[in-house]
Amino acid sequence: MSLAVDTLAFAYPGADVPLFSGVSFRLAEPGFHSFFGPSGVGKTTLARIIAGDIAAFSGEIDAGDLARSLYSHNKERLPGWSGVARHLERVVTPALHGRMAELIAIFGLGECIDSRFDQLSMGQQNRVNLIRYLLQDCDLLIMDESLANVDERTRERIILAIKAMFPQRYFIYISHNVVEVAKFCQDILVFRGRGKQPQTALVRGCDMRREGDFSRAALDATLLEIMNAA
Amino acid sequence: MLPRRVLQFLIIYCLFLGLLLALKYGLALSDYVIPAPSGIYQTLLAEYRNYSLATLNTMAVAVIGQILAVLMALGIGIAGRQSTWLGSFIKVAAYNFQAYPIVALAPILFILLGDGFLTRLLIAAMICYFPVLLSVLGIMSKPIDDIEHFYRATGRMRWQLEVKIRTFENLGQLTTVIAGSATLAMAGTIVGEFIAANAGIGYSIRIALYQSDLGKILIALFLIGITIAIYQALLESLGLVVKRAWTGR
Repeated sequence: MSLAVDTLAFAYPGADVPLFSGVSFRLAEPGFHSFFGPSGVGKTTLARIIAGDIAAFSGEIDAGDLARSLYSHNKERLPGWSGVARHLERVVTPALHGRMAELIAIFGLGECIDSRFDQLSMGQQNRVNLIRYLLQDCDLLIMDESLANVDERTRERIILAIKAMFPQRYFIYISHNVVEVAKFCQDILVFRGRGKQPQTALVRGCDMRREGDFSRAALDATLLEIMNAA
Repeated sequence: MLPRRVLQFLIIYCLFLGLLLALKYGLALSDYVIPAPSGIYQTLLAEYRNYSLATLNTMAVAVIGQILAVLMALGIGIAGRQSTWLGSFIKVAAYNFQAYPIVALAPILFILLGDGFLTRLLIAAMICYFPVLLSVLGIMSKPIDDIEHFYRATGRMRWQLEVKIRTFENLGQLTTVIAGSATLAMAGTIVGEFIAANAGIGYSIRIALYQSDLGKILIALFLIGITIAIYQALLESLGLVVKRAWTGR
């Protein structure tokens, strides 16, 4: 089971230059991976191509046994006609309701789960949205800024919990937080500045799985590697 | 909401009446052209009952016509929301039809169906149907991507859910359009009655016109205005009740 992308290129209709071209990488193992780079370089577009939302691209994507990919982002909303708990119960199969309760507790949403979506803070909204995606049947989940507006400690707790609870699943985490990406991700696809070739570089991250389970030196080395690649 | 609507109407009506009286006294027009306030008051006392019943008759036709129009517009608008051949056809047909003045078709209906209830009802429904349809088509054709994405991506999207999401997200706009179409339905009914019907306040205005009795027309306008103001306020209140029940706010 792996995700391999070969010489992928994409240009928006009417654009003079492609957004990216010649993007190749391979994510060999399940786990937490990342797309990292400045805004506007094509992270979201690449994610949506992999998820199947955009079809007009050139190059090859070999998803192997990854039958189902989902793309989630931080601007999504739940319908406002009933409380969050009721919505979650409806979109999560009953067999996973126990796991849903566990995630609600870990994500720190216990007190607000009966509120309507628009009554939640932005960070709470993003966490609720992530829970419903985590509990769907998929092999690859792309999390595009899915933990934006969530405080650092809670983010760390959530990422570690996701890694422990879904060890067989691929995740692609899009974030602008370089330390977080370096600390928790296995493979980091760094989008380089405009004009640089190749346009992306794959960097190995620290892949921290438990609290405190990483070396400061390894993190510094990864950060340096990301900075050099960018 | 109701007092505000009624007050707004009374202000406009009084300004209009004041302007007419200013014209009358400024240009020294006779009571035959513009009656004096005492004449208008006498007409009010004499015609109040008949004209009120005629206005209620017209209002009943307008309300039924509006309900028909809204139901049809919702049905066709929901069917025409998709980017399929049928959806595009419905949209193009709706845009073309609404460009045609429906009032011009009224004589055909009177010739074919006579001057009874059904003809007035059809004219009322047709006049308020197309503006409502265009709004519903606009609302239903526009995806709410940040909500719908999840349901599409996970294969949970059904047409009922899609319609529910788009209706919920545009509830305020829909309420405004439906409340606004009440005026169109009333105008349509009155125009129909004015052309050839045998009942309703439009018919009464036609008789008053033949008699050149501006006093009666002013009373009729007052009753029409106050009735529409009350009806629109009721529709807006109903919209608020639905919104509160659905959104919890």
